[in-house]
Amino acid sequence: MKTRQIFEFRGSARIALVLTTTMSALAFLWPYFISDQIMNPQWIFLAAAPCALFLLLASIGSESLDSKSVALLAVLVALIAALRPMGTGAVGIEPMWFVLILAARVFGPSFGFLLGTFSMLISALFTGGIGPWLAYQCFAAGWIGLGIALIPAKLRGRSEILVLALYGILAAEFFGIAMDLQFWPWALGTGSQLSYVPGGDVSVNIAHFITYHFVSSMAWDIPRAIFTASLILIAGKPILNSLRRAHTRAAFATPIEFRERVTQLKEAR
Amino acid sequence: MITFSNVSLIYPHSTKTILEDLSFHIEEGEMVLVMGETGSGKSSLLRLINGLVPHHTGGILAGDISVDGISTRLVKPGSLAHLVGIVGQNPIQGFVTDIVEEEIAFGMESLNFSPDVMRKRVEEILDLLGLAHVRDRSIATLSGGEQQRVAIGAALVMHPKVLVLDEPTSALDPIAAEEVLSILHRLVHDLSITVVIAEHRLERVIQFVDRIVYIEGDGSTSIGSAEEILRTAELVPPIVQLARALNLNEIGTSVREVRRNTEKFREIEVDPEPRPLVRNEIAIEIEKVSHSYGNSMALKEISASLHKSEIVAVMGRNGAGKSTFLNSIVGLHAPQSGRVVVNGIQPAFLKGQERRTAIGYIPQEPSDLLFSTSVAEECRQADRDNDVAPGTTESLLHRLVPGISATAHPMDLSEGQRLALVLSIVLSGNPEVLVLDEPTRGLDYRAKNTFGVLLKEFASTFNRTIVIATHDVELVAEFIDRVIFIADGEIVADGSTLDVLLSSPAFAPQVAKVMSPKPWLTIGDVLSALEKTP
Amino acid sequence: MKRQLHPLTFWICAILIAIGIVSLDNAAVSIAIVGATAILVYQRREGYPWEKSFSLSLKFGLAILIIRTVVGIVIGVPIPGRNLFSLPIVNLPSWMPGIRVGGNVTLERLSSSIHEGIIIATLIALFGAATSLTSPHKLLRVTPSFIYEVGITLVIATSLFPQLSTSATRIRRAHTLRGSEKPSLRRIAIPLLEESLSRSLHLAAAMDSRGYGVSKKRSRYRPQRWLTIDSTYLSIATFLALAMVIA
Repeated sequence: MKTRQIFEFRGSARIALVLTTTMSALAFLWPYFISDQIMNPQWIFLAAAPCALFLLLASIGSESLDSKSVALLAVLVALIAALRPMGTGAVGIEPMWFVLILAARVFGPSFGFLLGTFSMLISALFTGGIGPWLAYQCFAAGWIGLGIALIPAKLRGRSEILVLALYGILAAEFFGIAMDLQFWPWALGTGSQLSYVPGGDVSVNIAHFITYHFVSSMAWDIPRAIFTASLILIAGKPILNSLRRAHTRAAFATPIEFRERVTQLKEAR
Repeated sequence: MITFSNVSLIYPHSTKTILEDLSFHIEEGEMVLVMGETGSGKSSLLRLINGLVPHHTGGILAGDISVDGISTRLVKPGSLAHLVGIVGQNPIQGFVTDIVEEEIAFGMESLNFSPDVMRKRVEEILDLLGLAHVRDRSIATLSGGEQQRVAIGAALVMHPKVLVLDEPTSALDPIAAEEVLSILHRLVHDLSITVVIAEHRLERVIQFVDRIVYIEGDGSTSIGSAEEILRTAELVPPIVQLARALNLNEIGTSVREVRRNTEKFREIEVDPEPRPLVRNEIAIEIEKVSHSYGNSMALKEISASLHKSEIVAVMGRNGAGKSTFLNSIVGLHAPQSGRVVVNGIQPAFLKGQERRTAIGYIPQEPSDLLFSTSVAEECRQADRDNDVAPGTTESLLHRLVPGISATAHPMDLSEGQRLALVLSIVLSGNPEVLVLDEPTRGLDYRAKNTFGVLLKEFASTFNRTIVIATHDVELVAEFIDRVIFIADGEIVADGSTLDVLLSSPAFAPQVAKVMSPKPWLTIGDVLSALEKTP
Repeated sequence: MKRQLHPLTFWICAILIAIGIVSLDNAAVSIAIVGATAILVYQRREGYPWEKSFSLSLKFGLAILIIRTVVGIVIGVPIPGRNLFSLPIVNLPSWMPGIRVGGNVTLERLSSSIHEGIIIATLIALFGAATSLTSPHKLLRVTPSFIYEVGITLVIATSLFPQLSTSATRIRRAHTLRGSEKPSLRRIAIPLLEESLSRSLHLAAAMDSRGYGVSKKRSRYRPQRWLTIDSTYLSIATFLALAMVIA
């Protein structure tokens, strides 16, 4: 017998994750492949993202979220949500990403996905950030948590910190691109030279987007990436240490044994 | 109701047996105290009762535990929620929601109770625990005593037969503690609920308990009536120490009992030994200081002078203005009116190294100052911060608590060790004034004694002033010369510990209550008075 | 004290009216609706922190409107029509090919940019109003029971959120009083993180002891009731939406 394992997408929840990820990825990427036959494509995909999010949350059955995962998630979500507004005003100073990345590293990609998603939800609820973009933000932050699976689990010490810092740069840039991608059709519509071209060539659309991204938000993304990476380099080690200690103390998937008598116990030692 | 048979426990990643072959039986409607030093396994024992250990924590459990005939091997803690209610050490850490009513209903919601039943039970609990007036308040805004009652209510609402409490009064002031304990007493007597309680502050609970489970340092345990255990136990409340010191035949657990046995001692006529207050050079001068938050006045024109080598306790109920008083001394903010001068400097202007040598401050949560991954690293950092020779902090720490591991993580230390670590960090800078905010929460008698001795030594050898805000009357009686009692933003009493403590029934220590009207606060006082009688 | 509505009422209304606005696609009507919403939000204000999200959403909508207009003027694809004015054509460096900055700006070009901008800003304002008018705590209390765990996680997080900032202030103060006026990130972050994590472990134990996860079904204490006034709001919104879709 063992205590419960930390939250992981398994079975049907894993299928749901793949499906809803595809769905919301489409909601980000539609300008690249949409034909000009469809009326109001942006509205359709705008509705698709929240639906995907809801489906995903519903698929996390009652079985899989145990009390320890819930409590850890809640505390870290609150922490991230409390950190997020600290950055408002200063360009790219968003300390939440480094906490998300380090926590996902310690508690696993599935946990990281939920942490990213929930953090966005909660901070939106409290900072008045609810809007059509919320579901996109949730998925993008979730993927950043999930993507931690790419880093080899065995890595430790200085190389771990360096790889995580590199991941921080990529993640911050990814989030910037994703948000821009989502906002692109809204900010520009179809009628400008940087807009998406319905039914147009993918390369044209990509060229338009890259120029748009360069013009609109590189100035935000680069400081964010640098800030996230430097936080990981500076504070990564002690924070990973605290998180790992908590992971150990939480006793996930720890054997439970029952014996009859104390004498047996002494032999076991 | 609860049966432990041959229980031993080993936690995962550990080879140490926490409890050794423990067997006992608790009847329905009994109130049982679990007693033992910090780290002896009290909390583990409590958490074994509802199966949190080992179902939640993992580990090896030998022997069997059954509650109301159900073995904890077979069911998870949640399935015992209707049978065992458990209230953790720091209730606010276990709250799920932030509204009183919803918190109380949480357990019933997860067990799918019908809405009408829930509503009825919540109303019952609100009335039983006197929480109706705060039902829709945010829990974070309640006082410590109210929070503790919400936690008890949240457990009681499931109609458990057993209620388990881990140090329910350690964070409370004497009056709030009294409230909580009298509720527990009523539950035992009116509803015949079985109560198992662990508590360091024996003087508060001892009069209510029927039996004691005493876990000794070596892991062996004894079980018996309160009198039996206290006769031989090492850790005992002041009232029992008194009985032992006076060689009484009977050991009482309540003030009333011991008073009956000690009548003859109170008859002696001795002139009270005068205890002059320290009147050295003035170290802290507080002149007509007022402070308000919004519309409420927290301090109203307070004046006091504190001297060198004096230890002063600041006492009073929560919210009386103690914290604001302390904050003015340490210079968290400049006083809105009036003046504070600490050794010639206005503390609000102190910064950096100058501040560290002028005022040492131990916050209510000492761990707020700890941020390293090992004790040794923490000490090295303190040497650098305080600009003292490397090794100063560590050697001070080893004098306070010998045998502390240098590689241990600061957060894995016991409360007492952690306080000692923070004290060494602050004291290695040898500050002119030491200010402590509620330092003894969660300390057992032994740790408290070490702490008190250290304070006295620091004040007298270095001629330093110590200000300490505390609810701990026993600590004050034993180690502190002068008490400033604050109520409603004003100093209502300022004088020798003896005068101030004797005049307030709620804040009088146990020995004083037993020996009233004789002016004796501690066992030492009683004995020295007796020696003088022919 | 205003009458408390069901937390979902304004959200459903916002969605319905949003559908109407998109299908009607009329800027004047949209502006009128934003005006009406503003009045409603103003009348129902009670001073909660989340009520500022409406004005935030207005600002954000305005920003989009401005961006789209400026973009339309500067790099818009020309739409033939009445010429309003001309901007000088700027030559861009060769690594940004295929883009022409400046040129003629026609009335049609300008009005199409502004029109789309207004529609989008209206939608953002509608959701901002729904956020403003609904307590997030109450909203979390109506999360459907099949996402109960998610709901509980969010409820705990929201109740911890203010307490964490209190703890952060307390820790910062402890360091100030220790003479480090500008404490490093580590001095604040590590104690805060340690406190939060140990708290989560206590919380998990408390939840397990109190029956979390035992029953597959859960009930709701004092569920939010759907009142007549909720139905009234909802029917008005439905009527408006229908009218806009049909028109």
